[in-house]
Amino acid sequence: MNKFILKDINASFESYQQLIEFYKENESKYFKTIEISFEKWFGANMSSVLGGILDILSNNLNSIIIKDIPDNIQRIIQKNGFLAYYGYPKTIDFNNTTIKYQKLKPNDGTFFNHYIMNELLERSELPKMSNPLKKKIAESIYELFANAKMHSKTKFVYTCGQFFPQKKLIEITITDTGIGFKNKINSRFGRDLTAIQAIEWAISTGHTTKQGISGGIGLSILKEFIEKNNGKIQIVSDNGFYQFSSNGLVKKSFSLPFPGSIINVQFRTDDIFEYGLSDEENDESIF
Amino acid sequence: MEPVNIQVYSIVGNSLCVDAEDGQRVFDQISQALKANLTVVVSFLNVEMLTSAFLNTAIGQLYRDFSEEVIKKSLTTKDLSNVDKALLKRVVKTAKMYYKDPTWMEQTLSEITGENSK
Repeated sequence: MNKFILKDINASFESYQQLIEFYKENESKYFKTIEISFEKWFGANMSSVLGGILDILSNNLNSIIIKDIPDNIQRIIQKNGFLAYYGYPKTIDFNNTTIKYQKLKPNDGTFFNHYIMNELLERSELPKMSNPLKKKIAESIYELFANAKMHSKTKFVYTCGQFFPQKKLIEITITDTGIGFKNKINSRFGRDLTAIQAIEWAISTGHTTKQGISGGIGLSILKEFIEKNNGKIQIVSDNGFYQFSSNGLVKKSFSLPFPGSIINVQFRTDDIFEYGLSDEENDESIF
Repeated sequence: MEPVNIQVYSIVGNSLCVDAEDGQRVFDQISQALKANLTVVVSFLNVEMLTSAFLNTAIGQLYRDFSEEVIKKSLTTKDLSNVDKALLKRVVKTAKMYYKDPTWMEQTLSEITGENSK
């Protein structure tokens, strides 16, 4: 039996490092029982990251046991449906601020689209937002799912989120356990970019690894939107950590690689920018 | 001859035009019409969500197979909000750059690694 305690996990560099270390300690284990418990805090969003890691470990026929969960943590990760994957009953969530944890196949696009509609756009518990802002948020999330699906070669995409009514934030996390930015770009172009260089390249407009089809706009549009919205974006891929927010840009390296990519985005719901307005375009100027 | 009317909502089957695969089906229809030297009107009526991933395949890749002149002359859009038109304009601008210069991606990689572009 291998026992691990995840301590005070939230969307921070240190927490991602802790989760990567947990993965690395277990990645070569087969037919073992891996027991996880929690201390202090576990942000609901991080279910997306932990779910991806635990799936890789389960694929090695390890048994995953989650126990000794402090009440405040259990309430949240049971409400968001995460614990249902690990032997706990589903609970009905009243006064809900969680966006359900989902494990989706990349070709579950239609299901994902409905999930975002139901979980993000049509919920009465949502903080008040203008319709153009809601549309921008939803489109950004669709871009992320389309990206993970197209580029990562992942078997599943793990997604989860939460509203913070007091802080006026929506946070959503999308994790894949696929090839990662660095390996994808380096194998496509025969280069040797670091993980951070690969993330920076991918987030710049028009940069794509697709062959024969232009693209590479989704992430740069997301970054521009986050800038206007005063939100935050974090990208973890391989050993690279990239964070952009109104506090500036943070680029760091983990001591070990994450087996895939994580995109964590925070949107401000009290954003009053008028996204519905844009310059008049005509077909002459478009094409 | 009357232009060919392409209803995006009808091809995709719902109002969320977000997947690249759905864009491919729109592209196939526009492409067939342009190959037959017809003019095309693409209507986005009832479309609620659009992503660049969808528009890259639906419209962007036309620039691989047709000249800018043919596209400008033969293709028009309708029922597209100004915000979505701005997104389409960006998709088109990127597509033109991508297909015009196949070495562009390599150059951008050299810039990021600090190498001189070849």
